[in-house]
Amino acid sequence: MIRVSSDLAARLKKEEGFNAGSCFHCGTCTALCPLGYKILPRKLFREAMLGLGDEVRASIPQIFSCLLCRMCEANCPQGVRIAENMRTLRCLITREDFDLT
Amino acid sequence: MTNKRRIGVYVCHCGGNISDHVDVKDVARTLAGEADVEVARTHLFACSDASQQEMIDEIKDRKLDGLVIASCSPKLHTFTFRAMAQRAGLNPYQYVHVNLREQCSWVHGGDKAAATAKGINIVRAGVAKCALTHPLTPLRIETQPRVLVVGAGVAGMRAAIALAEMGLSVFVIERENEPGGWTSQVGWMGPDHQHGPEVVAKLLKEVKNHENVVLYTNAELTAKSGHIGDFTVTIRLCGEKDLTLNVGAIVVATGFTPYEPRDGEYGWGLPGVVTLKEFRQLLEEGDGPLTYRGVPVRDVGFIYCVGSRQTESEDCPEPNTHCSRFCCMATAFSGSLLHEHEKKFGRTINQYHLYRDVRTYGRLETVYAKARADGALFLRWDPSDPPRVEQRNGRLAVKVKDTLLGDEELEIGADLVVLATGMVPRKNGALDDVLKIPKSKDGFYNEIHIKLRPVETAIDGVCIAGTSQGPKNLAESVASSLAAVARTGALLKKGYVDLEPLVAKIDTSKCVWCNECLKACPYGAIERVLYGDKEVATVIESSCKGEGACVPICPQDAIVIEGYRDDQIVAMIDASLKETVPA
Repeated sequence: MIRVSSDLAARLKKEEGFNAGSCFHCGTCTALCPLGYKILPRKLFREAMLGLGDEVRASIPQIFSCLLCRMCEANCPQGVRIAENMRTLRCLITREDFDLT
Repeated sequence: MTNKRRIGVYVCHCGGNISDHVDVKDVARTLAGEADVEVARTHLFACSDASQQEMIDEIKDRKLDGLVIASCSPKLHTFTFRAMAQRAGLNPYQYVHVNLREQCSWVHGGDKAAATAKGINIVRAGVAKCALTHPLTPLRIETQPRVLVVGAGVAGMRAAIALAEMGLSVFVIERENEPGGWTSQVGWMGPDHQHGPEVVAKLLKEVKNHENVVLYTNAELTAKSGHIGDFTVTIRLCGEKDLTLNVGAIVVATGFTPYEPRDGEYGWGLPGVVTLKEFRQLLEEGDGPLTYRGVPVRDVGFIYCVGSRQTESEDCPEPNTHCSRFCCMATAFSGSLLHEHEKKFGRTINQYHLYRDVRTYGRLETVYAKARADGALFLRWDPSDPPRVEQRNGRLAVKVKDTLLGDEELEIGADLVVLATGMVPRKNGALDDVLKIPKSKDGFYNEIHIKLRPVETAIDGVCIAGTSQGPKNLAESVASSLAAVARTGALLKKGYVDLEPLVAKIDTSKCVWCNECLKACPYGAIERVLYGDKEVATVIESSCKGEGACVPICPQDAIVIEGYRDDQIVAMIDASLKETVPA
């Protein structure tokens, strides 16, 4: 069982531009990824929105390997800004985990 | 062979539906030589325009005085051929329909000889019945241009205004102190941000200002007599004074009752577990940021389908299997209202919508889309494993398996858990005994035909409107209410109504007024009258449906149903027992 963290969810909510709410879980993004990574944007974003920090962090290699090619984004039927969301997650993780300031 | 009657017998092939299994030509040939039959033929499709015209010509040319059509189910074409008989100058009630398709060819495929023999027998029975028919005239009833509307919610008031605009007089009765029903208690409504109390106030103003409408509150319908077009109704005002009104039709818009969760159902009974209506009151009635019992609210869980789409279980022996239609939209819309609140007070409130299937159909889809854009997170649970709500460290903990996260079990901490409770039938008590409107299995009032006659009931002259018929959102409720207005207006503006003459007849010489028929009649169509010095029963023909409960119960054998008289039934049995000798 995973505890939903409303704190992380609330912090993510404050990030302008994170917009995975309209995702309807079709998986087009995953099918189109040219890196063929086992990266599931739909699952990753859902975990992020639920504030599941550990689950999100488990995908750090994939989050930072994303080419930001926007192949997924261009084909998303729900208009989710997938690449932009990836950048938002990178920012959040960089700020909170690596403290590069 | 002497012919008392001149009956035309027409046997239909129904394409091949009948003729593939029954030798229709043989049936016609056999019948052609029998008593009372003037002519017997077959038609490829008796219902086609060409065949009807041929039959009309023959009825006229050969001066037929009876008609037997052996074709499909009478449910399909009784009225087709009654109208045809009328056009041919024959009394429509001297036509008899024989069901040669559903009751013979479709059930006896593979044995043509036996099916043909049976076909001959049932057509013979039809001829025997037809030979004993006599012309009947529909009962023409004058209608009263006044309507009683039961219930002054939005559906009832909207109906009253529309009926008044037709020039009809309208009496609206409301059981409660205040008109307006549930809509007056809901605040903002989706999808177009209308305010419930404002909508009600606008309608109420129109009702009060219209010279044709009279509104009674604290008023209950306690008695009804009469029939379609001319009812006498008794209204009890404030539980003491009785008022008698004469109306031509009744529109019933008594609304619904919100589902009351069982103790412990989704945490019901725990502090912080509220219904959607209570949540909206908390949200809309407070001045500052949302709090519950003094504690600021940071996380809200919404649980959908509470009291709707239930399956039978030990805890729930009588499940509400229906979808309540309005709750997905109303709950998603509440999510957007919560988001507005969040922006207004600059506080983040997380909202988790725990749903089974989102049914925001048609234009309501925009409400769902907006809620998601506004930050509502939708988690889908499976009914085999519903969410559980527990108390933990002074807060609520909702455990749910999110099917979109691979059935991962999540625990969500919440300050409020909002149950989206559905609609259940309203308990109308004595009103049900007065109106006798049939109910469907779910307990709501039932229409005659779900698609083609969606607001009329089995009680002629009584229409149902709004959520008394089943769950509806407000727009649907008003649409059904205006449909009831259209049917009621069509009835009363015409000024008269023709009723089936196939009703009970009482032989006053045999009747001894034992009261049995009165007790058996579900339509209140029997009355006691004095016939000379003798008390006898009489039939209120306009209330009688000809369904016949009084006939076998009568110890004096004094009652017959026109069109199904004893002599006709005996003749049919005799005819169908004749030995079949195909021609």
